[in-house]
Amino acid sequence: MKRDHGDTSKGSSSSSTSSSTTSAAGSACSNLWDTKDPSPSAGMDELLAVLGYKVRSSDMADVALKLELLEMAMYNNSGATDISFATLPHGTSLDDDAGLSYLSHLSSDAVHYNPSDLSSWLQSMLSELNPTPDFSAASSSQQQPPPPPPAQPPLRQPFPDYSACDLSVIPGAAATPPNKRLKASMNTAAASPPTASSSSALTAVSPPRPVVLVDSQETGVRLVHTLMACAEAVQQENLKLADALVKHVSLLAASQPGAMRKVATYFAEALARRIYRIYPREFSLNSSSYNILQMHFYESCPYLKFAHFTANQAILEAFATVPRVHVIDFGLKEGMQWPALMQALALRPGGPPAFRLTGIGPPQPDNTDTLQQVGWKLAQLADTIGVEFDFRGFVANSLADLEPSMLNISSSEVETVAVNSVFELHKLLAMPGAIEKVLGSIRAMRPKIFTMVEQEANHNSPVFLDRFNEALHYYSSLFDSLAGCGAGASEDTVMSEVYLGRQICNIVACEGTERVERHESLIHWRSRMESAGFNPVHLGSNAFKQASMLLALFAGEDGYRVEENNGSLMLGWHTRPLIATSAWQLGSSNGGP
Amino acid sequence: MAASDEVNLLESRMVVPLNTWVLISNFKLSYNLLRHPDGTFNRHLAEFLDRKVTSNANPVDGVFSFDKVIDRMPSLLFRIYRPSFGCETRVTMIDLERPVESEYVPVIVFFHGGSFAHSSVNSAIYDKLCRRLVSTCKAVVVSVNYRRAPEYRYPCAYDDGWTALKWVNTRTWLRSKADSKVHVYLVGDSSGGNIAHNVALRAVEAGIEVSGNILLNPMFSGEERTDSEKRLDGKYFVTIRDRDWYWRAFLPEGENRDHPACNPFGPKGISLHGVIFPRSLVVVAGLDLTRDWQLAYVKGLEKAGQNVKLLHLEQATIGFYLLPNNEHFYTVMDEINYFINPDQQ
Repeated sequence: MKRDHGDTSKGSSSSSTSSSTTSAAGSACSNLWDTKDPSPSAGMDELLAVLGYKVRSSDMADVALKLELLEMAMYNNSGATDISFATLPHGTSLDDDAGLSYLSHLSSDAVHYNPSDLSSWLQSMLSELNPTPDFSAASSSQQQPPPPPPAQPPLRQPFPDYSACDLSVIPGAAATPPNKRLKASMNTAAASPPTASSSSALTAVSPPRPVVLVDSQETGVRLVHTLMACAEAVQQENLKLADALVKHVSLLAASQPGAMRKVATYFAEALARRIYRIYPREFSLNSSSYNILQMHFYESCPYLKFAHFTANQAILEAFATVPRVHVIDFGLKEGMQWPALMQALALRPGGPPAFRLTGIGPPQPDNTDTLQQVGWKLAQLADTIGVEFDFRGFVANSLADLEPSMLNISSSEVETVAVNSVFELHKLLAMPGAIEKVLGSIRAMRPKIFTMVEQEANHNSPVFLDRFNEALHYYSSLFDSLAGCGAGASEDTVMSEVYLGRQICNIVACEGTERVERHESLIHWRSRMESAGFNPVHLGSNAFKQASMLLALFAGEDGYRVEENNGSLMLGWHTRPLIATSAWQLGSSNGGP
Repeated sequence: MAASDEVNLLESRMVVPLNTWVLISNFKLSYNLLRHPDGTFNRHLAEFLDRKVTSNANPVDGVFSFDKVIDRMPSLLFRIYRPSFGCETRVTMIDLERPVESEYVPVIVFFHGGSFAHSSVNSAIYDKLCRRLVSTCKAVVVSVNYRRAPEYRYPCAYDDGWTALKWVNTRTWLRSKADSKVHVYLVGDSSGGNIAHNVALRAVEAGIEVSGNILLNPMFSGEERTDSEKRLDGKYFVTIRDRDWYWRAFLPEGENRDHPACNPFGPKGISLHGVIFPRSLVVVAGLDLTRDWQLAYVKGLEKAGQNVKLLHLEQATIGFYLLPNNEHFYTVMDEINYFINPDQQ
């Protein structure tokens, strides 16, 4: 049951199953191919890796020591110097006062980051309890973060209109992980899962295919059967059969209740377009209607709110103490993300920074300057809340057309830059070289932080049937989650479905540069980002908690879940993550700041 | 406070491999952060810390999985694992609930542990364990995402387990070819073992046949303090205090640990004499401080004339079955396989 290609990996259980464990399965490939930078996933304890914990075998004793020290520190009131390993009164519990106050602090006030990196997590807690030198055995590959400053009490404010609830500004040092690079698993091919004909010797890491089904009386099995059969016929270019099947699907779908009907209808329509070669070219031009659809999507369910909230949280932490900030938004749309950030900045202890926003958007067919309109509205808000504000809009067909010099970014002594991208990067995968160019541009902008939100899905397989299968599962879950949000047939919900339907159409019916909805999961983005010289900035338990609380308020349905994954946060439907927010900073090894 | 003898904190280090020690100590530390003395629970931090994995319809090592939402408010979800038998390289939506093809297919309804408060079906430790059960026993595994304490007390977890049993029992696609029946085993560790027992009780009442119960370090207790609790308190990752906390969080307010859910053969227990209770395999770790309660459970079944096999691993601690790096793990997997597939040895 082990990998067939003889390799130097540690052998045991493969674990390409989960997005939260990257090292075990990837280590084989990394060891063989990556000679320049010995993969940090080499030497990981594979048994723990499978369970979500990254601990190097050589660090195991050190991690054990930290665990013991923490236990001691919680029992011992008088500080690190009195720690005695040897004895502990029998049955001592942590309910005595001293232990309690440490526990309470760690539980309620401290911010936790990336529990998969056990060593760092434990060290951060030790630093919280005893701000004294690192007790760990000298390990040359580790650099410990400075002890985080005590968390400031969160600022509680009444909710600003529809956006986020309270966004506390937390000093930035805590967010920065130690300066070691934990590479994601190295995929030998960018996002292609093995094809049907491949043997069981998987040489590339196969991304997991998470599935969440909703049980209902009429499961629509025939409907799904027919859809799949149609997709297969398309794959095999048996268009006559595909045509017959797609008509059958529409018939079946008409009598199918609930989310499945809607999903099937969109997939059927997309299949029909593919069969008849009626490609929906007009979508990419009609961006203002797309913006409106996205606004409905924003209103009807929590995905975009989550995206904005979590990205803003990371941006706020990066902007904690600086006087002038500049946010470059790769997809301004209606600017829904920024009122909440501006309000949080207005409430920053010590007063708000000067806030500059550069919004990028596609050209409008009627040449209206929608970017300026959005900028104007935000300027009015800034005025009311007392934040110095400057706006500039840039029209670009593609982010790859941007030159950083156009954006008039001031040097880092003058302004602190954040670059933000919500559901924009995947489009660049449609053009060779585009993503590399844009990542290079981001580097050139010298941001303190780069926040990105992407769909947590693999819809970019070159194999049509794989793409179809993945998308069917993904959008089924997404539609299921919409079904519960507010009233079933509200305008927002209906428009949201149209919005998502466009994505489905693009994934299924388009090819080449037209196919822009090239979603890839975070595991692949991590690999790309790290290759491009970025290091992760972790989102912590404070952001997690606030996002969870936000969900409880805004999500009508019971199934939304926030998950932490190696420093990033994901929002999902039940057990299926659907979108992922991650944050990045420039790595120093490639000539960063 | 406590007894006078002093113990070496490192004693637990002696009996388990280092990475196991790290794993279980880490859980212990995390869980300490989550339990508040007033009985409340830091659920946000718990979910943040829990390492989760998604289901995966792509077969990995001969097993694929998918999740199914059964109810919506409140939601009940199962994670279903199936053997892929090597020949499928792509599992499509149609294959997920394709009827099983063997003459005899054991279906395990699995209840994860976590002392009623921790973990979920998508916790990495339990996802891994369920996959191992599929591989070892060639079984279909249905893992139940039951509602947890303290937000949901007794009998919510049992209700969810019961719903799961009924659901599994009525799936035509899970029927063994030989007799067109679903052969169900109720399996669980820690609180999951307790749930398995209590769901079996309901099955008995309702006349639903359960082929067997498998309880790994099942969670039982009582008001009395047993010898093993006193001797092992704090020595091997677990304390009496934390056990008490979880029972207080799970049992109805005002009830004590002699409640029959907790102490099935105690003063308020019901008699199983003459009852057609499923045959049971009970695995007890000798270094688990609740060992005496688990042994008492076995005794209780024996006295009631029930078919029970005890596997007492004297040198094992809690959680030994989470990592395949010790002999107890393999012993238990073999025993479970033998229990479920007696004819195929």
